[in-house]
Amino acid sequence: MKLIDLAAIDHEERSAADIINSVCEELGFDYASYATMNPVKGDVQGYANYPDEWKIHYGSHGFHHFDPTLYKSALSIAPVDWARFDQDEKFNSVFRDAHDFGITSRGLTVPVRGPYGECGLLNVTRDCSDAEWESLKKRVMGDLQMAAVQAHDTVMQSGLLAKALYLPALSTREKEILQWVAEGKSQQDIGDILSISHRTVEVHMRSGREKLGALTTPQAIGRAIGLGLIAPG
Amino acid sequence: MIIVIDGINQHLFSDVLDEMFKLRARVFGDRLGWEVNIKDGRERDMFDDLSPAHVVSIDDEGEVVGCMRLLQTTGPHMLADVFNSILDGEPPLRSSQVWEATRFCVDTKKLGRGRGKNSVSYVTSEVMIGSFEYAKMAGVLDSIAVIDPVMNRVLQRSGNAPYDYLGTAKPMGKVVAMAAMMDCSDERISGIREYAGIEHDVFMTEEQALARFALSKTAKPANVDHKPLTELEKYFVEQMHSARTKDEVSAVLKLIEALSDRFTPEQKTALLSTPRAFAHEA
Repeated sequence: MKLIDLAAIDHEERSAADIINSVCEELGFDYASYATMNPVKGDVQGYANYPDEWKIHYGSHGFHHFDPTLYKSALSIAPVDWARFDQDEKFNSVFRDAHDFGITSRGLTVPVRGPYGECGLLNVTRDCSDAEWESLKKRVMGDLQMAAVQAHDTVMQSGLLAKALYLPALSTREKEILQWVAEGKSQQDIGDILSISHRTVEVHMRSGREKLGALTTPQAIGRAIGLGLIAPG
Repeated sequence: MIIVIDGINQHLFSDVLDEMFKLRARVFGDRLGWEVNIKDGRERDMFDDLSPAHVVSIDDEGEVVGCMRLLQTTGPHMLADVFNSILDGEPPLRSSQVWEATRFCVDTKKLGRGRGKNSVSYVTSEVMIGSFEYAKMAGVLDSIAVIDPVMNRVLQRSGNAPYDYLGTAKPMGKVVAMAAMMDCSDERISGIREYAGIEHDVFMTEEQALARFALSKTAKPANVDHKPLTELEKYFVEQMHSARTKDEVSAVLKLIEALSDRFTPEQKTALLSTPRAFAHEA
């Protein structure tokens, strides 16, 4: 089982590497990484913006074979604060070394499950006080969830086969709402037009955006038009 | 009180999960008549093998009285793979900020009416508060719950009405299933808390949950579960039930004594010393 740095082989415009870098810059984390287990070969592949020395140390010591932030976090549906592993011998053996490379053991993992049962993991760390950590978590957890699914989908869509399987399946409601947005209607207007609550409109829009791998609604509209799912407004 | 059992801590709670699967079998199989697979008195399906999060309510006596199962909608979940007829042929929602709630049930046999701590209403609210707060901490904004019309009415009555439904309600076996949408917002959580009069933190630590669950194994007298098995035992139970005076009761007891060679010593002790063995059938 190998540890693969996808940045070395990836030449897409917006790669998962860009996503983890922007997670650090925009949400205030020291380091971030994305990892997934190849379901066929069992390789761990991913991106990390840790210092190269730590990446080499991590790989050459085979930490990816037993690091609980990967294996155990994949068993949760909710983000896992690494404080949950503080009694775990394997965790401590990885992070005793990490400490020597200036990397804190204060971090968390956001697990994402994909439609084929595969799992992607977004890991972030920040060296800070307890209070700061708790308030940071509260503030950015939703953004981390979105970043995790984007990183995962970006990696999964990079293969040709996966690309074919991942063509976004928008529901009639999702398309209808995106179409009204393209016509310039507000969320409240759309709720009134379709006789549904604005909350329902919001949920369908969010789902539509994520299926299209878009960060913003205008981007989602652009992609939906590009794919012929809706008509230009 | 609530404990969330997931793939990371489930090795600590295998006995609690076993009780939970039994509760689900009693509710979904026996009482509601859903088309579910029950094996050895436990209801489990393929989604239980995908490391979902189980939100479990354990009461003061250490018994599992309510539960709910949560899955991410980005991966395999019931609306996508099992209940998709509800969606009228439409693809399901997929969002990292929407979770799916299924197998929501409470022990209606043990819990009573009213608003007290041991009521259906209280435990329903407790499970709901636990799952919404857990979801909120995870950055999740909405949940989509597969429920039946009875649960739907319970939610509407308890300050927790769904804000919308996805697709249309569909018959599933003997009942109707529907996909209800609920926001994991502070307003909803405080609405449920107000209705149920629950102000405290509903979550237990792993240690507290294990200690509480242990009560169910130790506090009870050994033979409280005694059920009359033989025809003769059943006869005595009926006699005791129809006894109206003290004399009649002691006559039954005398008869048990006289025929005691027909029982094992354990059966006899159980019959004589456990009034609840009689109460059970009555």
